[in-house]
Amino acid sequence: MASGESVAARWVSRQMVLLLVVLATLPLWIESIGLYPYLGVEIAIWMIYGLGFNLLLGYSGLPSFGHGAFFGIGAYAFGLFQLRVFESLFLGIACAVTAAFVAGAIVACFLSHRRGIYFALMTIAFGQVFWFISIKWHTLTGGEDGLLNIPRPAFELGVASAGLGSNTALFYFVLVVLAVVLVALWRLVHSPFGKVLQAIRQNEVRARFVGYNVWLFKWTVFAISAAIAGLAGSLFSMAQQSAYPDVMSLHASGIIVMMTLIGGGFVSFWGPVIGVAVYFLARDVLGAVTETWLLWFGLIFVLAVLFKPEGIAGAWQQHVGSGDRRSLARRAVAGFLSAGRK
Amino acid sequence: MALFEARGIHKRFGHQVVLERIDLGFESGQLSGIMGPNGAGKTTCFNVLTGQYKPDRGQVVLAGEDITGLAPNTIARKGIARSFQIMSLFDEYSALENLLIALPEVRERGFTMMNRLDSDSAAADRASTVLARVGLAGRERQRAGDLAYGERRALEIGVALAAEPRLLFLDEPTSGLSAKAIAGLAELVQGLKRDYSIVVIEHDMQFLFGLADTISVIHWGQVIASGAPEALRENKWVRRSMLGGKA
Amino acid sequence: MSHVLPHLLNGLSLGLLFALIALGFMLIVGVMELINLAHGSLFALGAYFAMVIISPDLAWLGAAGEAWAVLPLPVRYGLAVFLAPVLVAIVGMGLELCMRRTYGKKAEYGLLLTFGAALVIEETIRLVWGPSEQYLQVPQAISGAFLFAGLIYSKYKLYAALFAVGAIAAVWLFLERTPYGAIIKAGAHDSEMVRALGINLTRLRLLVFGLGAGLAGFAGIVMTPIWGLRPHVGIDAVIPAFLIIVLGGVGSFWGAVIGGILVGLAVGFTGAYASELSLLSMYLLLIAVVTFRARGLLGRKSGLEA
Repeated sequence: MASGESVAARWVSRQMVLLLVVLATLPLWIESIGLYPYLGVEIAIWMIYGLGFNLLLGYSGLPSFGHGAFFGIGAYAFGLFQLRVFESLFLGIACAVTAAFVAGAIVACFLSHRRGIYFALMTIAFGQVFWFISIKWHTLTGGEDGLLNIPRPAFELGVASAGLGSNTALFYFVLVVLAVVLVALWRLVHSPFGKVLQAIRQNEVRARFVGYNVWLFKWTVFAISAAIAGLAGSLFSMAQQSAYPDVMSLHASGIIVMMTLIGGGFVSFWGPVIGVAVYFLARDVLGAVTETWLLWFGLIFVLAVLFKPEGIAGAWQQHVGSGDRRSLARRAVAGFLSAGRK
Repeated sequence: MALFEARGIHKRFGHQVVLERIDLGFESGQLSGIMGPNGAGKTTCFNVLTGQYKPDRGQVVLAGEDITGLAPNTIARKGIARSFQIMSLFDEYSALENLLIALPEVRERGFTMMNRLDSDSAAADRASTVLARVGLAGRERQRAGDLAYGERRALEIGVALAAEPRLLFLDEPTSGLSAKAIAGLAELVQGLKRDYSIVVIEHDMQFLFGLADTISVIHWGQVIASGAPEALRENKWVRRSMLGGKA
Repeated sequence: MSHVLPHLLNGLSLGLLFALIALGFMLIVGVMELINLAHGSLFALGAYFAMVIISPDLAWLGAAGEAWAVLPLPVRYGLAVFLAPVLVAIVGMGLELCMRRTYGKKAEYGLLLTFGAALVIEETIRLVWGPSEQYLQVPQAISGAFLFAGLIYSKYKLYAALFAVGAIAAVWLFLERTPYGAIIKAGAHDSEMVRALGINLTRLRLLVFGLGAGLAGFAGIVMTPIWGLRPHVGIDAVIPAFLIIVLGGVGSFWGAVIGGILVGLAVGFTGAYASELSLLSMYLLLIAVVTFRARGLLGRKSGLEA
């Protein structure tokens, strides 16, 4: 229990610091290993997306196959705000988060009383509806081409201000957002709310008989998760300087499920973080060797579902838990991974 | 007036009538038993009383308030807690966390998102007390799924107790337990009687006759007899029903 | 009346084709309580297999290929219609063998596995046949157009509808006249009952998955001359299949047929009067049905509910 911990330890964990330090130094070394700085932007954005998504999949046991819709809504909302209203970083992001939250809240009304496969089915249907609208509503979304030339507004906070035109500047901005999301979600999953979500995943009937309004919890977590996806989407539209329907397709929605699961979202807070890093590294490293890297990634996913649904984080935990020779490094990694759940 | 009353409850599934004109009353401070052979409708009756199913007709009244057809979570918040015959725990949680989640003070803060539950030592203390009461002191950290069968049975009751109910429903608490474990359980329930109003469904006659203040016998979806245990022992309908349903 | 009739016929033939797409999906859902997200990929795979059989890559096969290529198109096509679904059925059975590891676990694992399988199959198609649009040849006898009541109709659509009717009838015979059919109709997910009837559940699942996959492949062969053949054509098949099963009711044969026709009519009519919205109408219909009647029109109680 944390009663003896310092105040700082209740907000931030060692893993968090480690992750943020590694990411913060990324622009210094990424090119020396043959990759490029923009990759860091993508990874950080998808980590935000994945962490929010895992609130549903891992913590609440709600498999959403249509989450790309909310990512896309965030991207479009941010873009439309910059293009149609006025250029503003924080208002644009607020608009994106609100739009995704509202869309998520509406969708959640239809599916919060559903479980398992029917839940997944409904999320697919809604995901497709949003994707379809994004393609067909030309006047608003620009159709299949999407919104182009979305500006990257400058960062302005009181006296401090900085342009986000360069990818490095944008990267550090995204990193700060990631840090905020990490801390907030870390608190959230350990809060009574987070504990109830996990209780609902384990035994929905009992949670109800203990006195929890399961519907309302599912509704709330779905809307929160959608809002975080929208936040990630707004950053993505800044990174790409455009917003397009692809990110809302069933395919794209499935990829975030795959990342989260492969990383170990079912057993660890850090699952999506690991999964996102693995996915993007696989894309760029495998992708450099073969054009069909997604085939191999799909195969890995299938094998993971069959043999290791706990994902990479779970494999590490088991590996270290069962071994006799426990090196310090191994234990450190296992501790790192299991810290997300008790 | 009784603490809890069921008046003229009817319940059918499709064409099958499962409960027919059930009238039950449970007094405050007593242990009331519901007895009957397998398939007589006991568990369905429990499920209707605790909100799992809506009755087709009839009324469920808690302390003068009509709670018919309310959702299980609403009924739970009005002070009715239940255990389950088929074990229903939060298996991945530790024994302590199972109880923490069920505490009323945690329930009231269910939508608190930024305070860590594990730094709330008052709640943890209270959960530990309940854990000790059901005989699981020292098992705080163990995953509920890893506990022994008998310990899981005890935790099942503990989760219901943690809610600090006005009325505690226990669904077949002896199910699957050895004779020795049943004796231990009887002792536990005897102790709980002092502090709680309790309703127990049981097919183990001995267990129930030793503990209950009053017993209602359900057969074919109807209450065929009710009264003090001694009186029921002599009732020929009860004997026939229980002998017939002994299997 | 005269302007409604063509849309009616169009919607009806589309509906029969939708019913065909949904049949294999229905069998798997009904018996295994599994939403097969790979259904669309198997659908696409069937069409690609047929394409290879009809017009094989001569460079690979040498003399044997040339001998094959001189056979008249109707012969090659006829063979493809039989052979390609069998090949897809074999792939489906392979998938079922993998599937076995997920039985008894949470239903989501089965769903995730079929999702992964869909991705793998689609990417394999992309790898082998390339990402661009292909063309599935059909014999001249069943292509072209004909005139009826003063309007021009596509001859192939008529034949496609006939193919669908044939397949629907065959599935009906299978369900009515074989012991397996009796089990499936009785709600075979109750494994105890299946064993009591002396049928090997393991074999039943393998058979049903093979059959479901084969039907998906057959639907792909029939459908792609109309829709076009691209690696991701499967997604266009999965969504209607969902909708039809949910609309008709899980595990109901006639539910699938009637659901298919209803969806076909809905898409046909919205296509005629508001073509931009024709696909959207399908998704909205799906949401409406799942929201208000999870059991569908003719469905029985299912573990998938709630």
